[in-house]
Amino acid sequence: MTGALTGFVGAVLEAWQELRVHRTRVLLSLVGVAVAVCSLTTVVALGAIVQQANQELSERSSGRPASLYLSAYRSDGAAVDTEKMDAVWSETLARYDISYASRVIQSTQLVPFATGGVMVGVQAVDQPYGEMHRVRMSEGAWFTPADTEQLAPRLIVNEVFYDRMGRPDLATHPTVALGGQSVAGSASGEAAGGTTAVVVGVTPAASWETEPSMFMLAGQLLALQSATAGEAGATTTDPFGGGGGGGGSVQYEMWVPPEISDQLTGIVQRDVQAALGDGATADVFRQDYAQYGDDPFLVTKLVVGGIAVLVLLLGALGLVNIALVTVKQRVREIGIRRSFGATAGRVFFAVMMESVVATIAAGALGVVAAILIVQSPWVHDLVGQGTVTDFPPFPVDAALLGLLAATVVGALAGLLPALVAVRVKVIDAIRY
Amino acid sequence: MHGPARRQLGVRRAGADVVSLLQLQDVTRTVLPPDQPALTILSGVDLTVEPGDRISIVGRSGSGKSTLLNILGLLDLPTSGTLTFADRPVKSYSGGERDRVRGARIGFVFQQFNLLPGRTALENVAMPLLYATGRQFWRRRSLAAEMLEAVGLGHRLESLPDRLSGGEQQRVAIARSLVRGPSLILADEPTGALDLDTGQSVMELIDEVATRTGAALVTITHDPAIARRARDHFRLDRGVLTPVADPALSVSGVES
Repeated sequence: MTGALTGFVGAVLEAWQELRVHRTRVLLSLVGVAVAVCSLTTVVALGAIVQQANQELSERSSGRPASLYLSAYRSDGAAVDTEKMDAVWSETLARYDISYASRVIQSTQLVPFATGGVMVGVQAVDQPYGEMHRVRMSEGAWFTPADTEQLAPRLIVNEVFYDRMGRPDLATHPTVALGGQSVAGSASGEAAGGTTAVVVGVTPAASWETEPSMFMLAGQLLALQSATAGEAGATTTDPFGGGGGGGGSVQYEMWVPPEISDQLTGIVQRDVQAALGDGATADVFRQDYAQYGDDPFLVTKLVVGGIAVLVLLLGALGLVNIALVTVKQRVREIGIRRSFGATAGRVFFAVMMESVVATIAAGALGVVAAILIVQSPWVHDLVGQGTVTDFPPFPVDAALLGLLAATVVGALAGLLPALVAVRVKVIDAIRY
Repeated sequence: MHGPARRQLGVRRAGADVVSLLQLQDVTRTVLPPDQPALTILSGVDLTVEPGDRISIVGRSGSGKSTLLNILGLLDLPTSGTLTFADRPVKSYSGGERDRVRGARIGFVFQQFNLLPGRTALENVAMPLLYATGRQFWRRRSLAAEMLEAVGLGHRLESLPDRLSGGEQQRVAIARSLVRGPSLILADEPTGALDLDTGQSVMELIDEVATRTGAALVTITHDPAIARRARDHFRLDRGVLTPVADPALSVSGVES
């Protein structure tokens, strides 16, 4: 027991002394390892960050796996009656117990900012949309189910919008006067029948976003639009046909378990088709990033991984090269140690340890350098290209992988010299 | 055939019932060079080393000194014959056990000193203690310092080998060979790299510490003056070990 402890401590001490005595050689050989580990960790971390950013972006635009979209159109080119479509939609959701589903309506609303009225893009959705698209909030919170019951529409605005409002405290329930449809002849944003909406949350804006935009609940938008249309004297029952600027179409979207998505696609399409009757065609399709197989980032991963392994291989070759040359120079020293009682196992372990201790130190340095590189604002700009607002933190996997790679490279690079060291003929080594 | 001769030399301690430290009986060592017939390096070597012995072995280069030293130091095994250390056949030791016994019981002194470069005198002397266990391991620095004091280098603890004279380096090497308290000191041409006076004083030091610790001393040399300091003399010629009365005669005999 004490023998094992003193053996281990002794080997580490020996390795440390060796490193100290040959510090120049060690430093030179380790520069290669540190650079290799740094490149590996950087490449892997950047790969992971780009992948995560891409995935987040994809999920925000086209939903999480599996997202099914429902659309319906009439063969005569006219729009399918929205109320009927909504009824069919609700019925389908209830029948298959789909709780994550949302209508998505793209529209515009006139908002009277201090600088004048601006037509602001509105994305009107149902409450589950926030979860389905992982909408991130910089302030406040996503719509709650209770928000749908409110008479005053709830708004979630982007940072640009929020800035133009003067960034009021959300706890004070700041309001915005929505001008309703852009009515011909209305001078200011405040058209007749304008509604006071309450801002409950703020979403971060990507750096390329310069225009204000906002989320509303679909039910509240539809109510607002039909009220405005009524005030404006429009007679049509189609809420989208009434106002000139508010034109938009309803998309229907469901987030379902990927394993049943194919089955569900067929069933929902059949049901909706049957409910709409002849003359209309229903189409259900999948649109999330994962629709084309298991991993759309597989190619990226393979390329990045391949480069990283090549880089590490080069570093390892350099290390083995230097380690072999130096062990040849140390044959005499190993012979001396053997003659003073170092067992073959001890010599093997000490030479190996030397390599491992050194590469772990170099690896740690490489990982730290990689973290500094990846987290630098310059790299953020380069990788994010303005589309990633919330940069993911440095992937822990990448750091661990870097250290692990350094250890493995150290052990492998130490293996060959350690085998050479064990085969040293003691007296020949000492007497040459 | 050399056995009885050795026995006669051993007679002076007859009845003391001492355990033999190292015993070689009819030891042969052959090597097999590729595509060539076997080459005999040592043949029929008999040698008994008992505690406190002073033995000198004189031989020219190529006579098998290295191989004999390897076998005496448990660094190599005989091809045939028996080798026992502390009355136990060395064949029955595992490789690791042989290394540990060597570290604990045998101290080497080399012609080229063979200090580890870049390490201080203290670190060099402490080196064998890295392979010890328990108290010797944990107190290696103070033990090494004491040993350097004992060889008169208490003031050079932190000196690197290349800052020491040849005599000082050999004294560090002697301190290193003795630091674990060995029962056998193997000195391989210990004065070969030193001038005459320094060589004499180094040999006196080795004799003195060997006497003080009761260790056996086996000196391999080509210098009759050094060999004469031993009590028992042997000549190694073409792998055959013969006891001789006067090492000077043996050398001239070899050279003739």
